[in-house]
Amino acid sequence: MKTIVYTCPYVPAEWIAAHGLQPRRLIPRPVEGTATIPQIEGLCPYARAFANDVAASEDVDGVVVTTMCDQMRRIFDLLVRRINVPVFLLNVPSTWQTVTARQLYLGELERFGRFLVRLGGCAPDREKLTQEIRRYSVNKELTDLYPALYPSQLPPGPLSWVWQQTFQSMGGGSERDLEGTRRVPIGVIGGPLMERDQVLFRVILECGGQIAFDGTETGDRTIRSLDDRYLSSDPLVNLARAYFHIPDPSRRPNSEFYQWLREKLASHSARGLVLHHYVWCDKWHAEFERIKEWIKLPMLRLDSEGRGEMDSPRVRNRIHAFMEALR
Amino acid sequence: MSETPRQIALREWDDAYERLRAAGVPQPAYGGPLGRHVAEGDTRLRKLRFDNSLAALRLWDFLLTEEDRLQLARDAGKKLVGTMKDLGTVPVMASSLDNLVAFYPDGAWWIPCVMEVNSGLLQIADSLGIDESFCPVRAMLGAFVTGAHFPIPDLLTCSVGATCDDFSAIAQRLNGLGYPILWWEIPHRRVPEDNEGGVQLPGGFRAPASLVRFVRSELERIRLALEKLSGRVIDEGTLSRGIAKANHIRRLLAELRQAAFTATPCPIPALEMLIAEMLAIHFCSDQEETIAVLQDLLDEVNRRVAAGTGYGTADTARMFWVDPVADLQVMNLLEDCGGRICGTEYLFAHALDPIPTDVPPMEALARMALADPMVGSATDRAARIKAEIRRFGAEAVIVSRIPGASHCALEGEIIGEIVRAECGLPVLEIEVPPLTDAVSPSLRTRLEALVETVVNRRSR
Ligand code: SF4
Ligand code: SF4
Repeated sequence: MKTIVYTCPYVPAEWIAAHGLQPRRLIPRPVEGTATIPQIEGLCPYARAFANDVAASEDVDGVVVTTMCDQMRRIFDLLVRRINVPVFLLNVPSTWQTVTARQLYLGELERFGRFLVRLGGCAPDREKLTQEIRRYSVNKELTDLYPALYPSQLPPGPLSWVWQQTFQSMGGGSERDLEGTRRVPIGVIGGPLMERDQVLFRVILECGGQIAFDGTETGDRTIRSLDDRYLSSDPLVNLARAYFHIPDPSRRPNSEFYQWLREKLASHSARGLVLHHYVWCDKWHAEFERIKEWIKLPMLRLDSEGRGEMDSPRVRNRIHAFMEALR
Repeated sequence: MSETPRQIALREWDDAYERLRAAGVPQPAYGGPLGRHVAEGDTRLRKLRFDNSLAALRLWDFLLTEEDRLQLARDAGKKLVGTMKDLGTVPVMASSLDNLVAFYPDGAWWIPCVMEVNSGLLQIADSLGIDESFCPVRAMLGAFVTGAHFPIPDLLTCSVGATCDDFSAIAQRLNGLGYPILWWEIPHRRVPEDNEGGVQLPGGFRAPASLVRFVRSELERIRLALEKLSGRVIDEGTLSRGIAKANHIRRLLAELRQAAFTATPCPIPALEMLIAEMLAIHFCSDQEETIAVLQDLLDEVNRRVAAGTGYGTADTARMFWVDPVADLQVMNLLEDCGGRICGTEYLFAHALDPIPTDVPPMEALARMALADPMVGSATDRAARIKAEIRRFGAEAVIVSRIPGASHCALEGEIIGEIVRAECGLPVLEIEVPPLTDAVSPSLRTRLEALVETVVNRRSR
């Protein structure tokens, strides 16, 4: 089965799967050897790592990038020039309050479908798409057990995410840590995390925190669960509607994100927020002060250059101090 | 003052101004000694060198008095529209009604340079979490907070979507501070697929008809908001007249660019040309006066071309410049190093192309908006740059990175790669901060090295 790689949450995995292709949400790892895109001042390390990982992968048959940020738009330009795999740019509107913006996104999914067909996929009928949406929904329920530790849209099948073990072994679900101290419920928000930076959750747990909710790009903020009610009419329209409203700071205005955050904070009684973003990620960087003013809770900002800083003693100390202050 | 063209310092201009005044040479209402702007904080002017023509003096005076004009307009009961990011589209619509005045709060981009970082705007941006990892447009936040650099507009619009992350993030921060914004979407421009109707855009690119329709519907939302604000209807006739004026300005600029980039010696310095080009996007809040200012400049340029006077010689290295400089002084520096400008792409090439007049005006504006270099791919930008390099006979390309700008990280890489491979020209990428004083020696060395490379290549 051909594999289609993506990383943006606005790409519905169900839509790819419905075409008989394998969706793979790529959480980039460091690439050894010569990189396709060198380190450049101003370049988002995540965007770069994604492009380099894609270029180094041998089992990729197609790539889809979105317009969610300017950096990824330029990554698309570079990938088109530097790799021999078809690349698709999905236009995700920034605005979301107009019917025309929603239609633009739906039209883009249809165009994406035609790209998938050109790659050897089969245009799905309603039944096939409904079936895939259900299959993915079941898996998403499982991921709800460990909201902090799962990337959204995992492919169906046994859950193999390494942090499942970490989470369980560390008593992540309990209110007390291994020494019996009450854990501090913390919300984690931010952009995507590279594979090695997912260690952030572990560090928070080890420092006595409890992940109240995961609002990073691979967390439950971006998980879309469509229930059967929505499938009775046109499943693609409903899929588009669900994905189009993923709350993200990049939307204009980004009030849906704040609404999501308000609900999460209220329902999970988080005592503080950790925000992680990569350097040069403007959309998250710009939001920190505003969120801080708005939630009136202690906040810790962790920015990284994608060199595995989340596992560094410095970051651990900062998280530790943050937890101490919240106890 | 039809003297031999030469660049003069501010003090010299002020002396000359006094002589002109005493001699009864007529001045526009906003005219005066340039030095008065230094007293208002525009201290960078002391370090710039200006063309010594009356037309250049008028250009500078016009540029530096925009704030006064906006205030006068407000006092006269006109409504102010702050049009953010689209660079060239919404002002054409707003200017078609005489009780609206459009301006770009984005113009605060240059305040850190012009006021030599003494305005405090960057510190305000810092305090709001918008630090130096963002481009200099972050000064706009401070300008809103202080209200000291432009009146707070009655309506704020901002194009988002396929724009830069910096502006989108900063505008959202502004919105979060309580400034209502009418967001409108400008989608990424792509080529039409097979069996998908395509539309020719100004500047030569094509886009799917559906995308043009989408942008048109977005601009309809803007039109409604403008109508509501002004209390008047913007019908097709009104818009067509607005477009005709914008096209008049674009025609003047096209002539100016042709002469400035091709004549030898160069009839007008790079700095004045940069300012002139910028007028096409915002008209400095007065379309009629923009036409008069540019006409004056064009007349001066044409006189110089006819007389064979100007700057440099046939040996001067011919450079194509990509992206605007955050420090205006670098335009002077290029000339000091033995270069001249032969072609530019300052990120608003679409604001220089004629707006189509053979289609309904809203359709024409939608096509123009989609022709924006920012909303297309870097490869498209490179294609346009290549065409202009050939048109103006440039011998090297300078990509001047804007510190913090989200698009600059990769655009320079792509444009450089394409230009080197397909035009066979040397490409220099430099970063220009709002004040280059600290890096000026190294910038100079790099520009001189490029000039030398150009000269050596000629003899090969
Ligand atoms: S981390 Fe931010 S800048 Fe980087 S790819 Fe994601 S959204 Fe874009
Ligand atoms: S300089 Fe670049 S990043 Fe800054 S506002 Fe302009 S287009 Fe955006």
